[in-house]
Amino acid sequence: MIFRIFEKKELKNLFEILAAHNKVVGPVEIGKDKQCNPIYAFTEVSDFNSIKLDYTTTKLPAKRYFLPFHEDLSTFRIKDNNWQKTIDYNADRPLIFFGLHPCDINALNKLDKVLLHSVFPMPYYVAKRKNMFIIGIDCVPQPFCFCRSMGSDTALHGFDMFITNLGTRYFVEILTDTAYNFLKNIKTEEPKEKDHILYMKSAAERNKKFTAKVDTTDLAKILDMEFQSDVWKQWGDKCLACGTCANVCPTCYCYGVEETVDINLKSARKTKMLHSCNLIDFAEVAGGHNFRPERHSRLKYRYYHKHRGFVEAFEESLCVGCGRCGESCLAGIKVPEVIASVRGGKKR
Amino acid sequence: MKPELKFVDIISQQPKMQKRKNDLSSFEYTYRAEITSMYQLTDMETLYRIQIVNPEERRRFAFIPGQFLMLEIPGIGEAPFSISSSPSIHGEVELCIRKAGNLTNFLSKVGRGAIVGIRGPFGTGFPMEEMHGQNILLIAGGLGLVPLRSPIAYVQENRSHFREVNIVYGTKSPQHLLFTYQYDVWIKDDINLNIIVEKADPSWIGSVGMLTDTLMKILEGRDNEFYHNTYAIVCGPPVMFKFVCNMLNKFNIPMQKMFVSLERRMHCGMGKCCRCNVGSTYTCLKGPVFDYWTVMNLKEAI
Amino acid sequence: MKAKESESKTYLGIPLYRPKVAFFEFSSCEGCQLQIINNENTLLDFLSLVEVVNFREAMTEKSDDYEIAFVEGSITRNDEAERLKKIRKNAKILVALGSCACFGGVNQLKNRFNNIEWVKKQVYGKHPIDTAPVRALEEVVNVDLRIYGCPIKKEEVEKIVLHVVLGKSIDIPKYPVCMECKANENICLFDLGEPCLGPITRAGCDSWCPNNNAGCWGCRGPAEDANVGYMKKIMKEKGFSEKTILERLDCFGGFAQFPELKKKGKH
Ligand SMILES: Cc1cc2nc3c(=O)[nH]c(=O)nc-3n(C[C@H](O)[C@H](O)[C@H](O)COP(=O)(O)OP(=O)(O)OC[C@H]3O[C@@H](n4cnc5c(N)ncnc54)[C@H](O)[C@@H]3O)c2cc1C
Ligand code: SF4
Ligand code: SF4
Ligand code: SF4
Ligand code: SF4
Ligand code: SF4
Ligand code: FES
Repeated sequence: MIFRIFEKKELKNLFEILAAHNKVVGPVEIGKDKQCNPIYAFTEVSDFNSIKLDYTTTKLPAKRYFLPFHEDLSTFRIKDNNWQKTIDYNADRPLIFFGLHPCDINALNKLDKVLLHSVFPMPYYVAKRKNMFIIGIDCVPQPFCFCRSMGSDTALHGFDMFITNLGTRYFVEILTDTAYNFLKNIKTEEPKEKDHILYMKSAAERNKKFTAKVDTTDLAKILDMEFQSDVWKQWGDKCLACGTCANVCPTCYCYGVEETVDINLKSARKTKMLHSCNLIDFAEVAGGHNFRPERHSRLKYRYYHKHRGFVEAFEESLCVGCGRCGESCLAGIKVPEVIASVRGGKKR
Repeated sequence: MKPELKFVDIISQQPKMQKRKNDLSSFEYTYRAEITSMYQLTDMETLYRIQIVNPEERRRFAFIPGQFLMLEIPGIGEAPFSISSSPSIHGEVELCIRKAGNLTNFLSKVGRGAIVGIRGPFGTGFPMEEMHGQNILLIAGGLGLVPLRSPIAYVQENRSHFREVNIVYGTKSPQHLLFTYQYDVWIKDDINLNIIVEKADPSWIGSVGMLTDTLMKILEGRDNEFYHNTYAIVCGPPVMFKFVCNMLNKFNIPMQKMFVSLERRMHCGMGKCCRCNVGSTYTCLKGPVFDYWTVMNLKEAI
Repeated sequence: MKAKESESKTYLGIPLYRPKVAFFEFSSCEGCQLQIINNENTLLDFLSLVEVVNFREAMTEKSDDYEIAFVEGSITRNDEAERLKKIRKNAKILVALGSCACFGGVNQLKNRFNNIEWVKKQVYGKHPIDTAPVRALEEVVNVDLRIYGCPIKKEEVEKIVLHVVLGKSIDIPKYPVCMECKANENICLFDLGEPCLGPITRAGCDSWCPNNNAGCWGCRGPAEDANVGYMKKIMKEKGFSEKTILERLDCFGGFAQFPELKKKGKH
């Protein structure tokens, strides 16, 4: 890995050079909540000053840029009794992501495992993913962040460059030659020993700020053992089956497909819509049989997919510990609490 | 150098001669296929013969018994169906489809010559070669005969490779029996056909009762040599295969030699939509055909 | 208003059924019917799929020969109930159009007042008329299809009609509004300190109200498996009063069957 260091004001130069030739997505403030805390979101930006690099977690991840909520998989032209199918992967340009936190980068790495590197890679994702240039940025752990428990508090790959705030300067890790060449446009230096020390100090400071924790020891096995546990029913009684947890999750990728005929009868389309396993119809089949009719069985399945199934397939869980689902869940269903209660078994 | 990113075209970049399983462009690609004939089997079920239009694609399309494909009618829908014909015929499949909802109702209205889209084949199949030299029990309840028709065709074509072959088939009533026109040929191929209906009508002269009764008669009084050298393929509603497999288990037929086919909701067939998961196992990738040991170890399977 | 007499349409070679449709309204604002003719872009295509034989908003000639009856509004008077029964007899498919028809809609609010005479006086002033408690259509006749919303969403009506014509099944979302609201990337109203019934209300409106920065009032009625009890608890914990919560749940009548509402306080 190549390291450089540069003055903070240089970042604006970098942004402007990149934004002049490319589309850039970054974190901005879109409003304030009722306690007057800012609400952040990822959106296309053209002005460096609108980017909030010290943002806490965004409500929604940058998912719509790589897994849109709705996306046409194909369109059809219908003529008499014949049809023509057109497939479009809905990616037409590269995008620069200016300031993704480690959890969100790790989320992409997890999605890569199932959508890019496994059998039947999904071109709709791959086309967008291969056209992402990612600038990572370090963050301040919030009370709800348990990424450290999930091993997602630092990103080792999946980005082009990663910047860390060292007070007056940024320390940058460079992973790709594209990033290396981009950085030639601004003034950077070779970091010195004292910069390394500063970097390590800042990392140690950050580590102290993690408060939320999940005990993942043997979790896959425990989920199996506690499959019939009553705690699931208790959580199921609270769950609203609203799907918000999946929508705000940077790693949830499941979907449903719907085909529709346009009202002129001359065209039709096949649309993919992100779904959520908490929704009532997730496992319903023709004739109305539902394999998971109860809220608790669906909620349980959510944990099953994330902390057991994915682990079995890829040796890691499908959760980066960003805490978004718990923060957005109106019923207050939070991963650390759910897992602690399942670990606690019947005692609760 | 202008700091401008170049658009990466993933399709032109991927190496030629890919396998379907890692070819990006095959993800949403559907073979255009023609419904060459349709034959109504019962009130609810129709057998469709479907042929891939392009001769080159037809030559390449091969499957193993037990696999399924996704059938699409543009604008109407797409759904999974078991392939119900001989694996030795390439590029042409038979599907037996029950009217159950949106797509299947529409399908019952299209005529000969209609063009549909198919993707696949997907999923696991029955390990027919592993069964060579063994006895076979093919046990079907109701629509479960549909996926069994492919292994039956395989057995017929390779009859010398198998020892005793029994079909045990149960339905609600005689009107529900599928593929009646084929029974004579099965019997001539030295396959024991045991049919039982839950409720007879006046014309019915065969057995009446539960499928497990018939199975019991076949299994009782055999020696261990028979039990240890028998494979079973069981298809039907979950309650049925649970009873059947438990019975087979009592006779010491190894669980790894019993195969069942699971049905779940499916929207992709390729391990992406998650709709088909049982516990946390993808039915479309690891199944639909599972050995019974695996099913026992799946949460939510039965 | 008549579509050009085209020979019967086909889709992928399958001849389509071109039903005769009629629109009727009872006690309502006729806003739902307006929605349908408001859609200039697709109106002609829509009209070529069906044969409209009766449409109060837009035509003078009327006929009793129809297959699909779209009925808007709720039933408040006995003569209305009789008229509805007649429509039921004529129609093969009776569609309840809009919240009033599906649940009683805003109209059913008056059921909360025990003293019907008082309501009559308040609502109808010096012209007392025969008014019974407000009923949804299905309390009087069998309803085959329901199109939810106040007002209905024209895209949804078009889709449902198209599906009837094509013989496709009609799938109205079973999940709640939050699903659409998140896809629209709205700020959650609860973050802003506002109440919202999105988590328990049937989706399909594309989260119309939250898109406009207003909490959902539940006009489309409950989602399937709606957890009304716990939602009420959550809203209480967030500081909303029983009255605020019940007002919302009561507004369109969709939640009337839930026990949480049957125990409602006095007004
Ligand atoms: C591996 C497998 C093999 C099958 N083989 C056959 C067969 O040989 N013959 C046959 O008649 N049926 C078979 N089915 C069931 C068949 O897929 C359903 O009957 C069909 O999906 C109904 O679609 P529909 O649009 O008519 O019904 P709708 O109820 O309108 O279905 C709507 C959507 O739900 C999903 N869906 C509904 N039911 C099922 C289901 N049971 N399984 C998966 N997805 C479902 C589909 O995505 C469908 O598009 C099989 C299912 C699976 C999983
Ligand atoms: S866990 Fe929370 S966010 Fe997820 S579906 Fe249930 S109520 Fe909604
Ligand atoms: S499950 Fe929750 S904490 Fe884990 S990645 Fe998803 S949103 Fe973040
Ligand atoms: S956890 Fe549930 S919502 Fe998330 S990807 Fe898995 S199945 Fe989908
Ligand atoms: S604003 Fe309402 S509909 Fe939207 S997410 Fe919040 S509760 Fe759900
Ligand atoms: S958000 Fe709620 S009140 Fe508003 S249109 Fe949708 S269902 Fe009706
Ligand atoms: S059918 Fe989509 S994951 Fe199995």
